[in-house]
Amino acid sequence: MHLTRRKFLKVGGSSAALLAAVGCDQLPRELRVLYQSPKAVGPFQPPGTAEIDSMTHVLNRVAFGARPGDYERVRKLGESPAQASAAYIEQQLNPERIVDEAADFAVRRFETLSVPLGELFEYQEELLHNELMRGTLARAVFSERQLFEVMVQFWSDHFNIDPSKGDCKWLKVADDREVIRKHALGKFPDMLRASALSPAMLWYLDGRVNRRANMAEKPNENYARELLELHTLGVHGGYTQEDVMEVARCLTGWTVRSKNQKPYLEIGKVEFKLHQHDGAAKDVLGEKIPAIPERLSKTERERLGQKELDRVLEIVTRHPSTAKHISAKLCERFIADEPPSSAVKSVADAFSQSDGDIRATLRALFATEEFQKQRGNKFKRPFNFIVSALRATEARTDSGMEIVDYLRRMGHAPFNYPTPDGYPEPAAPWLGTLLWRWNFALAVSENNIKGTKIDFEALQKNSGGDAGFMAHLLGRQPSPEETQAYHESGAGLALMLASPAFQRC
Amino acid sequence: MADHSQPSALNPQLGLTGNGDQRQTLVVVFLRGGADGLNLVAPLEDDGYHRSRPRIAIGKKEAVPLDGFYGLNPLLKQLEPAYKDGALAIVHAAGSEDDTRSHFEAQDLMEHGGITGGGWLGRFLRAQTQAASGPLAAVALGKAIPECLRGAPAATVLQSLEDFSLGKNRKRLTQALAKLYGMQTDVLASAGRDTLDALQRVEQLRQASYHPANGADYGSDEFSRGLIQIARLIKSRVGLQAASVDLGGWDSHFSQSLIMDPLITRLARGLSAFYQDLGPVMKHTTVVVMTEFGRRVEENSAFGTDHGRGSVMFVMGGGIKGGRVLGQWPGLSREVLEGPGDLPVTTNYRNVLAPILQRHGAGVRLGQVFPDFTLDPLPLYG
Repeated sequence: MHLTRRKFLKVGGSSAALLAAVGCDQLPRELRVLYQSPKAVGPFQPPGTAEIDSMTHVLNRVAFGARPGDYERVRKLGESPAQASAAYIEQQLNPERIVDEAADFAVRRFETLSVPLGELFEYQEELLHNELMRGTLARAVFSERQLFEVMVQFWSDHFNIDPSKGDCKWLKVADDREVIRKHALGKFPDMLRASALSPAMLWYLDGRVNRRANMAEKPNENYARELLELHTLGVHGGYTQEDVMEVARCLTGWTVRSKNQKPYLEIGKVEFKLHQHDGAAKDVLGEKIPAIPERLSKTERERLGQKELDRVLEIVTRHPSTAKHISAKLCERFIADEPPSSAVKSVADAFSQSDGDIRATLRALFATEEFQKQRGNKFKRPFNFIVSALRATEARTDSGMEIVDYLRRMGHAPFNYPTPDGYPEPAAPWLGTLLWRWNFALAVSENNIKGTKIDFEALQKNSGGDAGFMAHLLGRQPSPEETQAYHESGAGLALMLASPAFQRC
Repeated sequence: MADHSQPSALNPQLGLTGNGDQRQTLVVVFLRGGADGLNLVAPLEDDGYHRSRPRIAIGKKEAVPLDGFYGLNPLLKQLEPAYKDGALAIVHAAGSEDDTRSHFEAQDLMEHGGITGGGWLGRFLRAQTQAASGPLAAVALGKAIPECLRGAPAATVLQSLEDFSLGKNRKRLTQALAKLYGMQTDVLASAGRDTLDALQRVEQLRQASYHPANGADYGSDEFSRGLIQIARLIKSRVGLQAASVDLGGWDSHFSQSLIMDPLITRLARGLSAFYQDLGPVMKHTTVVVMTEFGRRVEENSAFGTDHGRGSVMFVMGGGIKGGRVLGQWPGLSREVLEGPGDLPVTTNYRNVLAPILQRHGAGVRLGQVFPDFTLDPLPLYG
């Protein structure tokens, strides 16, 4: 049934034939979602101010943009606009309290996303990669837990793994679930530990071959370096080459069973090999880690050897540079490409004081004056652009490969970034993607993307005509020039989605 | 977004400003299937070559002489002028460290540049400054983006110039976009202008019929057609930094000449036409030809050759010191042959690519492009 179902979805052909073949009572839930009649877009109130107000601002930044009606929904959360946007943020900081049926439906068809680690190897790598990409896209578009999805993207970049390397083709699916999604709004130290021991990360940054069975063997520094440079302290965080070496030594012996190892059921299992661990004394960022005495029992030495990983992670997460590094990146994402140092400092303080509690850190960020004030100054990355366009037009979409292909052309398909630093956040490297954005704007507005449909007339009618429609898309009242261009372009919706204002958030 | 109204250095589409000759273009030709280097460039003076291939070796008299030791397959004669001009260098016994002799594994490793994430060309384009991110910075001729371009910013699969367009009858939309982007006061203004400019240039290209320069005579096959598109994009200065085009089908297990001869002819005709067509622009262009592995030194009973190790690479264009066959020739005696009797690899392909990438992306960190490999760049430029 599984295979058949996927094939049916792929063909996407006549629903009548499908019903005949399967029978109504057997029709899986996701098919009913796919073939349900278009959800009626009721009349809604678009923004009425000339500049972006605080409600549109939070929908732009904390979420992947407003759907029809979102603005009005947020507005009703508080008595004043400021209260309303603050309430929305608080709601979003607690995703576990948000019902998310539409997103759950949308991703249920991507079976591999819930396959346990050991069984992932039974699937073809291309299918795993496609479902990861499509699932991520679907969640970003449909999830009510928007901030959660925004943070999933943030951490996917922060702990970037390109699945094209070795066994990551299979293991990244588990990493996405057990590391990124599990901790996206949790505690940074927990996420870091999960990442350090993630089978995919052990593959991607060569931790699995970091060993020192004898003093002649040179530990592999790859993970240790990126741990300090990218995951925690940051490149100018005040560590030395010596520290990289010492961290690598602490982490020797951890490995993961590869696809070619037997028994089959233990593929992807993470193990600590005491004989490959360097048990001599170490010095990490000024902290002494004593040698493991040879006289101890094997079990005891194993325990101490494994504990060195926790000790290292503790040292690096508590380092003030880590608070600053993570905060600077968060501010770059949520405030500005070059965030004011005052904001970074407040956020870093919250990070330190909460021992890396991600919600507490974000709460502090959203409370800064800089976040409140800097509106419409960020350039959407391609993924954000596409998702916000699909949301703004309330598109029904199967988040299919045609959309992924647009992202590929713009160099921003999820899980396709080769190096461990993750996709860049600032505008500059993305400025060459306008042509593909314009093409996408045309394709989506003219219903030329297979598996993705919008209802232009309903959108326009429910937003109260052209002026309201423009205000909904731009998040503010259109300027006279925008109004004129809208009418002159012969393709008003496409023009709005392709316009400079829609590229910003 | 900061306002970087100071032009050029931060302009992602420097190549669109009309000063496109400053933009260097790297063209990667991949010969898929394992091309027999010994049949492309024969070690004429190595007796082992003639002994191992009594029926299929290229005779000393038929070959196009190169340097007294090697000779070109006569079907590659069209490449002789470029070689004599010093614009074509050949690297023999080149290849990768992969010894699986599996097409898939060897291509994968070579295109990724090791067991690592993303393709080497993709990482190279990423590793550069913002200059790499123009809309037409990287194109792949064919139906899919090859693995070497994986992870590139804005890589585009191109089958025809029609793909670079907003479609028919978009004049009013284009004007409206020009108006709105023209009103911007930050980087979006120049990004919009550059994109509209690129669209216009490609539109002009599409409408004009293309006449290759200097009497260049391309073939009508897919490889030549791909090279024509690349030449047009280079000449129209749309900011093309990297292009990839495949010529596949080299898996010559039997009747080697039946399989290889037409391909060699296409390769020679395409490359020589491209060389002529670009003329002086070739100075800013580098073409590199590579394959996943070479063939067994000894011919098999079916007049063919089986999967081997070392093959040959060609580098043409941009300032190289050509007219030479580089790379250490290991000889073909039994002791030096690898595994079942294969030409060992004496020059890793990364060491051929490294100096080229250095020239094309000044200041690029090659360690990031080719991780976990100690580079020993070949002295291609003298």
